[in-house]
Formats: sequence, structure tokens, C-alpha cells
Amino acid sequence: MTPIHTLHILNKAPEHPRSVACMGALMPGDALLLTENAVLALAAQCSTLAGIRVYALAPDVAARGLGQCTGEAALVDYPAMVDLTAQAQNVISW
Amino acid sequence: MSTLIVIDQPPYGTWAGREALDMAFSLAAFDQPVALLFTGAGVNWLRKLQETSEVEQKSVEKNLSAAPIFGVEAMYADAAACVRYRLTLEDMVAGVVMSESSSDLLNQYKHTAFAG
Repeated sequence: MTPIHTLHILNKAPEHPRSVACMGALMPGDALLLTENAVLALAAQCSTLAGIRVYALAPDVAARGLGQCTGEAALVDYPAMVDLTAQAQNVISW
Repeated sequence: MSTLIVIDQPPYGTWAGREALDMAFSLAAFDQPVALLFTGAGVNWLRKLQETSEVEQKSVEKNLSAAPIFGVEAMYADAAACVRYRLTLEDMVAGVVMSESSSDLLNQYKHTAFAG
């Protein structure tokens, strides 16, 4: 598992200004973890993120009925989410 | 006095949407003409097959199914927001009407209130 430079944890819906700021801060080698309302980005038409690994919290995805549109995002459960935060050098909770 | 309740908040993330739905149901229960408009991230309320046991919340789908029983006149979904979230009428709960121009819709009601 190549190391994660910065893990961005986002829980805001795509329209939220904080989501826009987060997308702007992503750098190649970073990872993006979508939780709560942010998983709606999986359904929304948004640009593909080159060089960024995208994860989504499975319970939030299921709650919003988004099972079939995960695209290239990897679904993770709560323990895996904790592992991601441990792996990353830096973590930003947006 | 016809009222339009607009839900632009995503489901589950905040309570604002549920409070607006309770307001709409209360109005309908007292025979006030009321309709619902879902727009922005709010259209995600209408998506079918919501499986909420893991997040330990009641599915908003169940809340919405009570709308006709309460006498809510219509449930509109903003067409542009549906495109943005790749939602078609088949993906949504029954009884939703697509609203091509929500700004016109707002003008048809004496009173409009937003969630949250």
C-alpha cells in the first residue's frame, strides 16, 4: 500500500463551500475519504481526480441508496477508516 | 393559504430536512394545502432502496411514504438537481413529479418555507 501523503476526510455535501475548498486542496499522492453527506459526490457528476485515491464509508453509502454508483471509489468500513487515518502522514478533517 | 415546503438539505446529514417534513405533515393534517419541493442535495431524499440500519436512523423513504396519507398535495423534484445527481423517475419513490422550472413553482404558492 503506497503511503498516503495527506488524507482528506470530507463529510459535506458537494454543494457545500467546504467541499469545493477540499477538492481544490487535493494533491497527487493524497487520498480522499468521503463520509456522511459527502458520499453524495459519488452520484453527482464531478471531475475524476487524477492521482487521488478515493474511499467512501460503506454505511453512509448504503443509507443513501448509492450502492450501484460507487465508480472508482473503494468502499471501507469503520475499522478500515481508522487504518487509513493511521497510514496517512497528515489528516485534514474538512 | 397554500404552502410550499422546500427541502434542499441532504437526507441524514442534518435534522433540518426532517423538521421541514414534519411541518409539511402538520399543515396537511390541518387541511392546509401544502406541497413539497426537493431541490439541490435534497433530491437525494427521493432515491429508492435506502438501507439505513448501519447508521441507525429511520429511512426517510418511510417518512415520505406517509405524505399522501397526510394529504400532501404533491412532491416535486427539481429537474436540474436530478440531472446533477443522476436521478431519474425510476430511481425515485412513487408519486414524484419532475419540476422543470422551480422558480415558477415558488410563485404559485402563497407561502414558501425552506428547511433549516
